[in-house]
Amino acid sequence: MTIALQVLVSGLAAGGVYGLFAAGYSLMYRLTGIVNFAFGDLVGLGIFATLLVLAGTTPVTQSGAHEPRFVGALTVGLIVCVAAGIGTYVGLVQPYLSRGSTIGWVAGTAAVAFAIRAVIGATFQRSSYVFPDPLPFHRVGNAGFIKVAGAQVEARAFFVIGLALALALGSVWLLERSRFGRALRAVSDDAEGARVVGVPVDLVVALAFGLAGALAMIAAIAAAPGEAVNANTGTLLGLKGLIAALAVRFGPPLWAFAAGLVLGVVEAAIANVHLGSWQLGPSYREVLPLLFVLVLIAVWPSRDALEERE
Amino acid sequence: MAAGRTRTELGRALADARAAWGSPAWVAVAAIALAAAVPFLSLPWVRVDALAQTVYLAVTATALGLLVGTAGLPSLGAGAFVAVGAFTSALLVAREDWPLEPAALAGALAALAAALVFGGVVRLRPAFVAASTWALAWLVWLGLLAFPSISGGSQGLIVPDRNLLGLDATPTVHFEVALALLVLTALGIAAVRRGAPGLELTALRQAPPLAVSLGVRLGRRRLGAFAASAFVAGLAGGLSVQLAAVADPASYDPFLSFKLLVAVLLGGAAATLGPAAGVAVLGLIALASGPLARALQLPLERFDAAVAAILLVFVLALGGGGIVPWATRRLAHLGWFQRVRPSLQVTDCYKEEERREVPGGLVLHAQGLRKAYGGVVAVDALSLELVPGEAAALVGPNGSGKTTALRLLSGAVAADAGQVVLGDRDVTTATPSERVRLGIARTLQTVTTFPELTALEDVLVGRSVRRRYGGGIRTALATPNARRETAASEGAALEALALVGLRDVADVETQALTTSERRLVALAAALATEPDVLLVDELAAGVGADELERLAEVVARIRSGGIALLLVEHNLRLVRLVSDRVLVLAAGHVVAEGSVEEVAGSDAVRQAYLGAQTL
Repeated sequence: MTIALQVLVSGLAAGGVYGLFAAGYSLMYRLTGIVNFAFGDLVGLGIFATLLVLAGTTPVTQSGAHEPRFVGALTVGLIVCVAAGIGTYVGLVQPYLSRGSTIGWVAGTAAVAFAIRAVIGATFQRSSYVFPDPLPFHRVGNAGFIKVAGAQVEARAFFVIGLALALALGSVWLLERSRFGRALRAVSDDAEGARVVGVPVDLVVALAFGLAGALAMIAAIAAAPGEAVNANTGTLLGLKGLIAALAVRFGPPLWAFAAGLVLGVVEAAIANVHLGSWQLGPSYREVLPLLFVLVLIAVWPSRDALEERE
Repeated sequence: MAAGRTRTELGRALADARAAWGSPAWVAVAAIALAAAVPFLSLPWVRVDALAQTVYLAVTATALGLLVGTAGLPSLGAGAFVAVGAFTSALLVAREDWPLEPAALAGALAALAAALVFGGVVRLRPAFVAASTWALAWLVWLGLLAFPSISGGSQGLIVPDRNLLGLDATPTVHFEVALALLVLTALGIAAVRRGAPGLELTALRQAPPLAVSLGVRLGRRRLGAFAASAFVAGLAGGLSVQLAAVADPASYDPFLSFKLLVAVLLGGAAATLGPAAGVAVLGLIALASGPLARALQLPLERFDAAVAAILLVFVLALGGGGIVPWATRRLAHLGWFQRVRPSLQVTDCYKEEERREVPGGLVLHAQGLRKAYGGVVAVDALSLELVPGEAAALVGPNGSGKTTALRLLSGAVAADAGQVVLGDRDVTTATPSERVRLGIARTLQTVTTFPELTALEDVLVGRSVRRRYGGGIRTALATPNARRETAASEGAALEALALVGLRDVADVETQALTTSERRLVALAAALATEPDVLLVDELAAGVGADELERLAEVVARIRSGGIALLLVEHNLRLVRLVSDRVLVLAAGHVVAEGSVEEVAGSDAVRQAYLGAQTL
C-alpha cells in the first residue's frame, strides 16, 4: 500500500512531464500531420540555455538559484526554446509540407535533434549536471520528503503534478476559448479552409510549435532538480512523450496528456513493484512500455492511420 | 531433359544480358575489380579494416535505399536491425562458440524476425512509420544499455577471432566479403526495382488508394521491402561485428540509424548505388573532420553528428535528389548512359484466361447495401444487377451516394448491411485486392494515375495482380518464369493501352498527359486486371466536350469484350452515348431505373435534382 502510493505519486509527477510532451506532439501532428523529432532536444536546448546563463558550464550547485538571476535565466531559456521551435517549423517543416515531401521533414527534424545533441555535448562536456532548485523543497517535511498515509513521498512531486495539470488544463482552456485556440482548431480541422477564411495559418502553426516547447520546458525544469541532467535528458523526455502520443495515435492533446500520466505510473510500477519474490526491476522501466506501444500500433493500427484509406 | 531446359534458359539469360550490356556495365565491372584490388595495393593512407566497415555500412544503406527510395517509407530505425544482427552474432560467437557464418546468418534472421514483429507499422501513414522506427532505434539502444548481461555493458562484448569462408578473417577477407555482399545486394535491388515489386512499391508510394484499388497488396509488398532491408542490415551487422572485435552498445545508438538515412538521401534514394555513394561521402567527411575537430578542440564523435546533420539540411534545402541521380543526369546530358529499352517479344505463352461462364446471366448482384457515416445514411437498401457486356449508368445529384455505392461494391468501405455476389460467389467480406483478383475493378474519381510512372508502367501496376511469378525473390533472381512473365505482362499492358487508343504514349509519364488521356490510362490499368465488372467513377469529369465521343467509343469496345460496366457519371451526354440502362440515386436510394429517355421524364428524378418545388 505504501509502495503503491509512492509509485503513484512519483509516477504521476514523471508522467505529468511526459504528458505535456505528448500533448505537444499530438497538437503538432493534428495541425500539420508531422512528427517533430527535434521536440525533445529543442526543450533540452532550452534547459541547457538556462543552465548556461545561470552558471556557465560549471557543474551547478545550489548557489545562484534563489536570485532574480534564475528568473532571467529561465526567461532566456524559454525564449531560446520557443525561437528554436519556431525556427524548426519555418526552416525545416513548412517548406517540405508545402512541397509534399515526407522524407524532408522527417530527416530535417531528426537532423535538428542530432545537431542540438552535438552542440550540447560539445559545450557541456561532463557526463551530467545538477540543475539548481529555485524552490526550497528540501526545507519541507523531512529533507524534502513528507509522510502521506505511511508513505515517504517527495514534496516536489506534488508541485510537479500540480504544475503539469495546471499547464495542461490552461492550454485546453486556451484551445477552447481564445481566438488563438479557435484558429488552431480551425487549422487542424482543415488548413486550406482556415487559410481561405483569413487565418494566418503559417504564423499560428509556427507559434504553436514554439509554445508547445515552452510548456514542456516549464514542466521539465520543475522536475529537473530531482535528477542529474545531460544531453540525453531532453531527448529521452521527448521519446517518452512520443510513445504516449503514439499510444493514443496522436489523438486529442488531452488524451495524449492522460497517456503520458499513465506511462509515468507504469514506469514507476515496473521499477518498484514486487509481486512476492517476482520483480521486473528498473532495467525494464524504459524498455517495456516502449516495446508494448510499438507492438500495439504494429498489430492493432487505428483505421484513421492506415495509408490505404481514401 | 531438365538439364537441356536449364541450358536453354541459361542461354536465353545470357543473350538478354549481352543485349543489355553497354558501357555503363563495363564501367561497373572495372570499378568493382579496382575496388577488390585496393587491399592488395598496400596504400599507406588506407586502413583496410575501416574500409571494410564502411563497405558493410554501404551494404545496409543500399538495402535501406529500397525502403526509402522505392517504397517511400521514411525509416529512422535501420540501425536497430544492424544492432540486432550484430549482438545476436556476437553472443553466439562469444558465448556459444559458433563459427562466424552461421552466427551472422542467425543475426540476419533475428533482424528479419524483429522486422516481422514490428512490420505492421508499414501499413500506416508515413508519419507513423517515421515515429515508430525512431522509437524502435531507441528501444534497441536503451535495451542494450539496460541489460549489460547481454550487451557486455560499457565494455561491450569481446568477439574472438574466427574464420570467414575458410580463411582467417582478416580485414582484407572481410573487405572482399563485404564488397561481394554489396554487389549482390545492389544487383538484387536493381532487379527488384525494375521488376513488378518495384513498380508496385512505387505505385503505393505515389498514390496508395489508387494502387490498392488496382489490387496491389499494400501490407504484403511493404512488409516484404521492410523485412528484406532488415535481413540485409542484420547480415551486415552480424559480419561486421567480428571485424570490430568488440560489440559495443555505443556504436549502435540511434545516430547510426540517422547516419544511414543521411547516406541514403545524400547519395540519392532514387538510385540503387546512391546510398553506397552517400556512405563513401560521409566516410570522406569523417576523415577530413578529424583534423578539423582537433583544431577546434571539439570531441570528434559529436562533431561528426553535427556535420552529418548540417550536410543533410543543405542537401534537403537545395531540393536535391542526391549525388548519384544528379551525376547521372549530367552524364546523360553529355551523351553517356543512353538507356535503351529492350524490344518486347510478346510471342511467349501469354493467353488470357477464358472468361468464366456466369450462371443465371448475372455477373454482379448486390442486395440491400447500406452504409451510414455516424448519423448520416449515405446509401440505404441499394440493390443492383449487372449482366455481362452491359454499361449501366449510376446518376444522381451530389451527395446522393454514388461514390459510396462504388466503394461498397469494390470493398473500399465495408457495408453495414447487405451482400455483394460476383457470379456465384459471395464477396461481401472480401478485401478490395481480393475483389480485384476475383474480377471487380474500379477507377477512382480524384486520383487517376501515378504521376511519375509512364502510361505503360501505370497499366503494368494493374497487370501485376495477374502475375504468378512477380514476387520479390523471383524478381531478384530473375528466374526464367519471372522473365517470361514480365515480357507477357508488358504485352498485355500494351494491348490494354491499345484498346483505349493510347498505344503511342506508352512511354510518356502520365503527368504529361491530358486529363482525358489520364482517365483512359486509368481505364486501361483497370482493364489490365482482367475484370468481369468494371466500376468507373466520373469518366467524363474534366474532359472536353469534343472528347466525349472518343470516350464513348472506348466504353463500347470494352463492352464488346463481355465486361460489365457500371459508370457513375455526371455528364448526361456521355450517359446517353454509352448506356442502355440508367439508375438514379437520391439520398442513398434508387429512385428510378430505365432508359435515358424514361428516366429523364420521371417525376422522382426531377424531384431528386430540383427538390420538391416545381420550377
